[in-house]
Amino acid sequence: MIAKTRHIEDTKKLLGSLPAVRYVDPEYVYLPITNARCAKGDLFIKEGDHVDTCQLIGMRHGPFFEQPIHATCSGTFVGIEKHYHRNGKLVDFVKIKNDFKDTFDKSAKKRTPEEIAKLTKDDFTEIVKNCALVGLGGSSFPTYVKFQTDKKIDTILINAIECEPYITADHRLMLEYPYRVINGIQYAMQAFNCKKAYICIKSKYKDLKEVYSQLLKEVEGIELCCVGNYYPQGWEVEMIKSATGIQLNPGELPSNRGIIDFNVSTIVGLYKAVKYNIPVIKRFISITGDGINYPKNFRVRVGTSIKDLIPLVDGYKNPDKEKVFILGGPMMGASVPSDDCIITKTVTSILVFDKHDEKEEPCVRCGSCVLSCPVHLEPVQIMNAVKAADKERIKKLNPLKCIECGLCAYSCTSKIQVTDYIRKAKIFAKL
Amino acid sequence: MTIVKESAPHLRRKASVTRMMVDVLIALFPTLVFSFVAYPINTLIFYLTSLAIMIGAEFIYVGLRGILPKDGQKHTFKEWFNHAYKGKYDQNNILAPAITAIIYTLIMPAGAPIYAFIVGAIVGIVFGKLVFGGLGSNIFNPAAVGMLFAKICFGSQYQQVSTWYYTIPDTVSGATPLGVINGGMHASIGDYQLFDLFFGRIPGTLGEVYKITIIIGLVYLLIRRSADYRIVVSYLGTFSILMLIAGLSVMGLGTGINPFMFLLYNLLSGGVLFGAAFMLTDPVTSPINPPSRWIYGMVAAVATVLIRLFAALPEGVGFSILIANMVACVLDHYEWSSSRYTWKKFLTMGLLIVIPALIVFLAIFYGGTYNG
Repeated sequence: MIAKTRHIEDTKKLLGSLPAVRYVDPEYVYLPITNARCAKGDLFIKEGDHVDTCQLIGMRHGPFFEQPIHATCSGTFVGIEKHYHRNGKLVDFVKIKNDFKDTFDKSAKKRTPEEIAKLTKDDFTEIVKNCALVGLGGSSFPTYVKFQTDKKIDTILINAIECEPYITADHRLMLEYPYRVINGIQYAMQAFNCKKAYICIKSKYKDLKEVYSQLLKEVEGIELCCVGNYYPQGWEVEMIKSATGIQLNPGELPSNRGIIDFNVSTIVGLYKAVKYNIPVIKRFISITGDGINYPKNFRVRVGTSIKDLIPLVDGYKNPDKEKVFILGGPMMGASVPSDDCIITKTVTSILVFDKHDEKEEPCVRCGSCVLSCPVHLEPVQIMNAVKAADKERIKKLNPLKCIECGLCAYSCTSKIQVTDYIRKAKIFAKL
Repeated sequence: MTIVKESAPHLRRKASVTRMMVDVLIALFPTLVFSFVAYPINTLIFYLTSLAIMIGAEFIYVGLRGILPKDGQKHTFKEWFNHAYKGKYDQNNILAPAITAIIYTLIMPAGAPIYAFIVGAIVGIVFGKLVFGGLGSNIFNPAAVGMLFAKICFGSQYQQVSTWYYTIPDTVSGATPLGVINGGMHASIGDYQLFDLFFGRIPGTLGEVYKITIIIGLVYLLIRRSADYRIVVSYLGTFSILMLIAGLSVMGLGTGINPFMFLLYNLLSGGVLFGAAFMLTDPVTSPINPPSRWIYGMVAAVATVLIRLFAALPEGVGFSILIANMVACVLDHYEWSSSRYTWKKFLTMGLLIVIPALIVFLAIFYGGTYNG
């Protein structure tokens, strides 16, 4: 079938209408000492120590920045265990036994509206840095770096598009905590001294439209922006183009054009950080896929083990079949080799699919991948260049522009894993 | 329960090469039935021969490709058979040569001698497809290669066949109406009614002449998205523009020919529609990005028009498809291939219309004659 593919069939409509189940008090909480961006980490506590919620228990060291580790519940530090991290690697996790009292650390203090009104941009940067806020859409890029920009910002875009199929965590967050979203946006507007903010949602979400068009009547400067229903509408460049009409050049930062964008979960994290001076300790996730019995949305404490959650969705469907276990969306999410993983701040969803073995057919050059590519690459040509190991040709075809959205492999008529070839081409091109 | 790793994306679109090929077979079906009704005996022999040759050649090819290594050990026949065919021979190895065989039969004249037909089929599948590596690797359209080979080698031995559907009038002795045109167009344009052209009551090949069924097949292919509309539109569009200019020039000579009738006559005669629907749109032999596909269709149209109007052979479409197939490789070269429309590509498209239009106009209007 020779066609541009932008719509991916999914089950969002059903899942998005399910209220999130609260599962905020697991018996143990696990916190990673290192992560994908920070390869080293120190701990400030010893085994047997008592920790409070939001207490600073360690520091991760990355090449460009440091990231504080906060306890997400109160209890006792019982040891270090190895579990799978979101990126698919076995990583050391701090294991904390929950005492179910949820006593907050003294650093967590509520700011009054007057105090907040006096905060400057530098104060915001400091707060966000101390609360270790990162991009919660999945990039885990430190948010304070975004706050450090010295460019004049005149538009704030809130990315609530959630264009990956199957996931509805942000949708539930928008519906269940609209005031946190709106207050968070107001704080961001105050920080950048900017008068305009848009909440970008898919135009097919009628429930969000109804809720927010009511709420935003009383709020000045924030508007709802309905954008396309296709994938990858949630990609920064595509969203900015749909919302404002500005086409960013490849590699250009949005702040160059006076735009700054946040994921909606990040903005709620900002609200918590500014209002209560606490890091992200709870988040929404979706558990779905054809490999489990009852897909559900959850609000969980960061650090919950996924093994605790699986019984709550009534376990796996067809347990004798091979399963694929994915953290993140089905198009870009990483597959992990075991269900022994931990929910970190940036996990948006857990997908369990039955393993489908697709038979690869020879490429008939139908061109669907070329038509579908959002960055106008030619995936099939890159694939052929990789097969021929022709470095010069690979470089000329510019695979580094690829955002790994996965549409080339999704749309492939011959079921070839084109995206894998592009990943190889990226390695070639960097040599 | 076991958990396995898999690289992203984890979802796949419901589409397959097999579905595309079945679509082409369905689109060919009305034409196939029509050809069978018109020439029952010849057609049945031809279909069976070409299907047997092409599917058989693919079968032997898969076997040869899976030959066991010479490691000194003795291998039984069964071992070789399993090694060569298990998991490697599937429905695509039957469907693809079947499509080639049907297209090849439909573009052969009913009066071709059987030995010419067999030689053409073998050359088409072996040298047009299998030497390049089978499905997805061929550069040229195998059916066109076979048909032209047979035509060039045995063309003089082709005969006219009469059936109940179409009886050859005594006065005409050419191979196709285009052969008649090339002999002297002014006389022949009135010889065939548009109605006859539309329903194939004209001398010609087995399947190319039934325009009505070809159009049905083309519409089906476009609706199912198994053929790229860009190629069809650019080919037929460019062909129409250039033929209209040729028609105007002919009218300018004072012949009294209606240019639109001239255009319609040219569109409905020969293999233009069949080539546009089933041969040019073959994704394997066409370029992969959209702007190149527009250019590819235009190149084929220009070649068809120039060969039709000025060359000695009546077989414009077959040659122009092979020429366009060659150009497709050039268009796909990594130095300039991209899916973006640039001004250079628009310039190329413009030149592809303007220069042939000038050639056609000057050659007919000032040259005074065209082909006889």
